[in-house]
Amino acid sequence: MEDSAVATGAPAVLPRRRSGRHDGRTAFLFLLPSLLGVLLFLVLPIIASLALSFTNWKLLGKPAFVGVQNYVRLFTADPQFWTVLRNTLFFTVEYLVLNIVISVGLATWIASLKRGQRWFRVVFFLPTFTPGIAVAIVWMLIFAPGGFFDFIMKSLSLGVPNLLTDQTLAMQAVIIVSLWANVGYNTVLFNAALDMVPPSYLEAAKIDGASAWDRFWKIRLPLISPTLFFGTVMTAITSLQVFDQIYVMTRGGPGNATATLGYAIYQRGFQNFQMGYASSIAWVMFALIMALTALQFWLQRKWVHYDN
Amino acid sequence: MHTLAAVALAGTAILSTASLAQEQVNLTWQMWGDEKDTPLFQSIADLVTAEYPNIKVTPQFSGWTDYWTRLPVLASSGQIADLVAMQSMRMPSFYSVLEPLDPFIAADKFDKSVFESSIISGLSHEGVQYALPYDVGPWLVFYNRDKFAEAGLAEPKPDWSFADFQAAAEKLTSGDNYGYAVQAFDFIAEPVALGAEYFNDANQFDLTNPGYAAAVGKLVDLVAVAKASPVFASGAGAATASGRFASGNAAMYIDGPWSLISTQGAVNFKMGVAPLPRGEGPSRFITAGSGWGISAASQHKDEAYKALKVLTGPKAAEILASAGRALPGRLAEQKFWYDVAAKDVSGTRETLQYSFEHSTPFRLNESWNEFENLITQYIPLALNGDNTTDAVLADIQSQLP
Repeated sequence: MEDSAVATGAPAVLPRRRSGRHDGRTAFLFLLPSLLGVLLFLVLPIIASLALSFTNWKLLGKPAFVGVQNYVRLFTADPQFWTVLRNTLFFTVEYLVLNIVISVGLATWIASLKRGQRWFRVVFFLPTFTPGIAVAIVWMLIFAPGGFFDFIMKSLSLGVPNLLTDQTLAMQAVIIVSLWANVGYNTVLFNAALDMVPPSYLEAAKIDGASAWDRFWKIRLPLISPTLFFGTVMTAITSLQVFDQIYVMTRGGPGNATATLGYAIYQRGFQNFQMGYASSIAWVMFALIMALTALQFWLQRKWVHYDN
Repeated sequence: MHTLAAVALAGTAILSTASLAQEQVNLTWQMWGDEKDTPLFQSIADLVTAEYPNIKVTPQFSGWTDYWTRLPVLASSGQIADLVAMQSMRMPSFYSVLEPLDPFIAADKFDKSVFESSIISGLSHEGVQYALPYDVGPWLVFYNRDKFAEAGLAEPKPDWSFADFQAAAEKLTSGDNYGYAVQAFDFIAEPVALGAEYFNDANQFDLTNPGYAAAVGKLVDLVAVAKASPVFASGAGAATASGRFASGNAAMYIDGPWSLISTQGAVNFKMGVAPLPRGEGPSRFITAGSGWGISAASQHKDEAYKALKVLTGPKAAEILASAGRALPGRLAEQKFWYDVAAKDVSGTRETLQYSFEHSTPFRLNESWNEFENLITQYIPLALNGDNTTDAVLADIQSQLP
């Protein structure tokens, strides 16, 4: 075939281009089911929720266009919105910092172990297998008034008030449960990254007299910074959407101490049947997530080190 | 030849008419409950097929909380079942998904007086009947008779006052054992029993009116000042009060007849029931209950009505009552429930009779569930002393339409 093509003077690249088009068509056909799924179950609902955010849809009945009324109400008339936003950011910041610090600490400790590394990785990763709702129910029973936590505090003669009924402590209970359930994911992630750090770097630093802290701070941490960045961004995104723990443990209470954007969407949409209004909150949450993620990408230039 | 063909044609026509008359209709029946309820409700569904062989009813269960999330989603996506369970308190939010039953009832000359009147009213909206009841009940005080005897307290009389209730709760409180376990709904049922209203005359929320605030304040004081009840957490729901009662940690709590069989099975002491304590004026109690309606989107409304009559009929009521599942909305069949679910619980018959005689309309509007959720979320702040009753009620009021 090639000889004949050369003999007829046909361009040598033509068969390759035809083959490329054929491959492209085949690839498209293989990708089509997934593409349709993405369009139907991701893109379309997203567009629909944006459209609904400009309506007064009450879930039952037909929606009517209300323009930007939902957004105006959200920012100027809703007595709860700013508290809900503050709670969401408070949860995100505290949970994110604690999650990263604890998971880096655990990952470093596991990496330093001579035996049992795999066992500890499994132990810390196990809670991430458990459904969030189940975790929240068990912890809710532990923290409930008169529950196991109160019993321990009383036995130790510590005057700690009940976590779920105290306005200042309720969010801390949610953070404790979230950490317990999710810190294992980042631990395993960071532990894998630490294992990839070339031992020769650490050996050389040790010979040069670097302390254990210096080796961690100046060699290990910069070398795992791309993984650290990934873990930070993903954890921030999921914590901005926190819902399960709050739905089960506090229902946004006591008062509005633990009401977050994720819970407000559920409450407005499925309890109060204000689906249009709930959609507008969802889009505010989306904008917030996008803004904070963009900020993290901008900040990464200052602390993330890539090999290239 | 022509005669033969005519006979054959007539025969075919008769056969096809007969087959049309017996066309199989499959109805779905959307209900809350769990898997263990399936045999009981399936036995009731089978009653429909026994009476109408061409109608088959298939129950579909969801958990209680999930049910109220799923219902509007299924309704708005056109997947709602033919027969739909409805609780009276949620009727103002969901009546639009149900078919008005009045035309069926009128055409059939169906006698609604066989049902307890308060639940017939509860399953209607603005005078239109949307569902027929299967159970009914007022809120009651469940009490531990052994604890009352140990404390030397006389058991509650049907017209006992809040002062009697408070005195009993305080006397029954000792160390980690409480006289009473409060829960969110008490702040709705008990203020009404005390004579208060949470609505104004236009059926709009008016939580800061002096009567309601004072009534809520009485319950709050019982927790925050007298410490006769533990605080409940906003996420704990109703489970903690019933759990405390069953374990003997609390001597009284408020619940309904629908829980009597399960509570009775969970306790190892003698149990009694009493009406909610009254205020200065005469007793008055709200009652609630549930029933089944026909989905407005059903393609088989006539068959669904036939099924509905069987599902809420005397035999079905007897089965549910004998299983202790529900105090029937049908008056004649209530005796089966008293004989089974209530047989070892002191005072049930007198208490319920007294409560029905003193029942007052349960005032609801389309934001009522929002109100109930906000009570659950905000009242703990008053109970633990973080905020005053007036401030908490003002906060809730500001979030209601």
